[in-house]
Amino acid sequence: MRRRHLTPRCTRWPASVLLAAALSLAGVGCSGSSSSGSSSSGSGGGTTPTTPSTPVNNTQFIQVGAGPTGTDVNQLLTSVSICVPGTNTCQTISNVLVDTGSTGLRLLASQVTLALPQLNDSNSHPIGNCVAFADNSYAWGPVQTADIEMAGERASSVSVQLIGATGFPAVPADCNTGGTNNDTVQALGANGILGVGVLRQDCGSACATSGSQLPPIYFSCANNTCSVTAVSLQQQLQNPVAVFPQDNNGLLISLPALAAQGATSISGSMLFGIGTQTDNALTGVQVYATDSKGNFTVTFNGQAYSGSLVDSGSNGIFFLDAATLGIPTCPGTLSFYCPASAVNYSAISTGTNGNSGTIAFGIVSAQSLFATGNTAFNDLGGPNPGAFDIGLPFFYGRPVYVAIEGQTTTAGSGPYWAY
Amino acid sequence: MRAVAATLLLFWVTLPAWATLGQSRDSVQSDQALLKGRLSTAEAQGYTIHQITRDDGGVLKEFVSPDGQVFGITWQGPTMPNLAQLLGSHFAEFQKAAKSAHRRGPLTVHVGQLVVETSGHLRSFHVRAYLINLLPNDISPEAVR
Repeated sequence: MRRRHLTPRCTRWPASVLLAAALSLAGVGCSGSSSSGSSSSGSGGGTTPTTPSTPVNNTQFIQVGAGPTGTDVNQLLTSVSICVPGTNTCQTISNVLVDTGSTGLRLLASQVTLALPQLNDSNSHPIGNCVAFADNSYAWGPVQTADIEMAGERASSVSVQLIGATGFPAVPADCNTGGTNNDTVQALGANGILGVGVLRQDCGSACATSGSQLPPIYFSCANNTCSVTAVSLQQQLQNPVAVFPQDNNGLLISLPALAAQGATSISGSMLFGIGTQTDNALTGVQVYATDSKGNFTVTFNGQAYSGSLVDSGSNGIFFLDAATLGIPTCPGTLSFYCPASAVNYSAISTGTNGNSGTIAFGIVSAQSLFATGNTAFNDLGGPNPGAFDIGLPFFYGRPVYVAIEGQTTTAGSGPYWAY
Repeated sequence: MRAVAATLLLFWVTLPAWATLGQSRDSVQSDQALLKGRLSTAEAQGYTIHQITRDDGGVLKEFVSPDGQVFGITWQGPTMPNLAQLLGSHFAEFQKAAKSAHRRGPLTVHVGQLVVETSGHLRSFHVRAYLINLLPNDISPEAVR
């Protein structure tokens, strides 16, 4: 009923990108763009053959439920294993939030029993990481190094944030947003956050160059005082999928469709790689490229919202405001919409590559949804006047692809969303 | 002498760190120092915008009415600013209204005269806040952008 009309359309990419795509894979892309299936044979001298990798299990179990607090809704969770780098000394952390709106693995230190190596700067001072979220909450903790395992894939020696580690210096003033410190399961609503968005690092080049004014994201801590510091791209928190030896160009999230009143809980799959195995082909979807901040444009009633994103870590579709839409927010809480009866909306998403497509979704009174006792809803929404935050409700019943910044796929390089 | 100096110092460090919604524009200079940004001022029809620009892309705009009160604030930048400092005495009101079961995502709070919107993600945050009763005559909330 709420299915978007899919209008598969060929994306035009520069010849170099098409060549790279053709070399890496048999063509799933537009007809005529890469018809030769033998381009990766590597026979003859001069070209470097692409080594065909043995397929590994790329399917990670994900589920939506009430989360570890028992009170959350539309909380997409998975289990992540972390290991002491290069060893089989590992620990599995359950109830980690799958978040396409951030980058990097962040775990509550209270949940981690492994002793992981601390990332230090050149003066042997420990590095800390700060992240803020749209709800004005934040998380702070040391950066440590771990191997990250999901399904049959392993990302080696990746920086992870250990939120609220005891013995680490207190939250620096530049990190404190004034809002909630997400240093407990109760505050975070999860044991950690798995940031698998379109950006490769949490901060990127803005944090990598010393000498300039750096965003307060990475800190060097000496004598219990932490000050903003530069950290190389490689040592920043990474989308762990980009670090896998294969299936590393992105991922797709697949959740079943839901009835209007939702479901008590629901499970699905996160598949690693895009067009790298038989189960993750990029078919029947449109590619929407994002800018270097991970944003694209959503247009509603002729008004363009340029800072929009697809965000599995948000539990509703957050857009516009009650006055503009002519529907009320819920009594007693301004967070969600509570229309008297179900309302259907349609908006147009436009990538920085110029591709456009319709997004159709419904909004049902959050109060009536919560009264069902269910935890998975495809029609939960609330206000966000400045942008579309296309949260988890959008993911039910359609595959959503996340192509990582700088990684090559059959439809060109990331960063892009496809659905 | 020493006691006086200590008192002065204490007074200085307890000043609001950033210009605070609903208070006077006097704190703009100290904001600039704290944000380590460049201050510029623009006159608009019926109000003044003090803008502090950081090299990391963070931009704080403070909208000041002719009688010298900060009636609106916007922020965009790679990180989230400290809303307790930006909203001052209105922060508690904001937090109380923002506290909501189930919500995970951006915030829009409209309580009494106070409107606060926060959204975005790391590398791209947006904050907009204003006090309806402090908007100068004929100035629409749309001016606070």
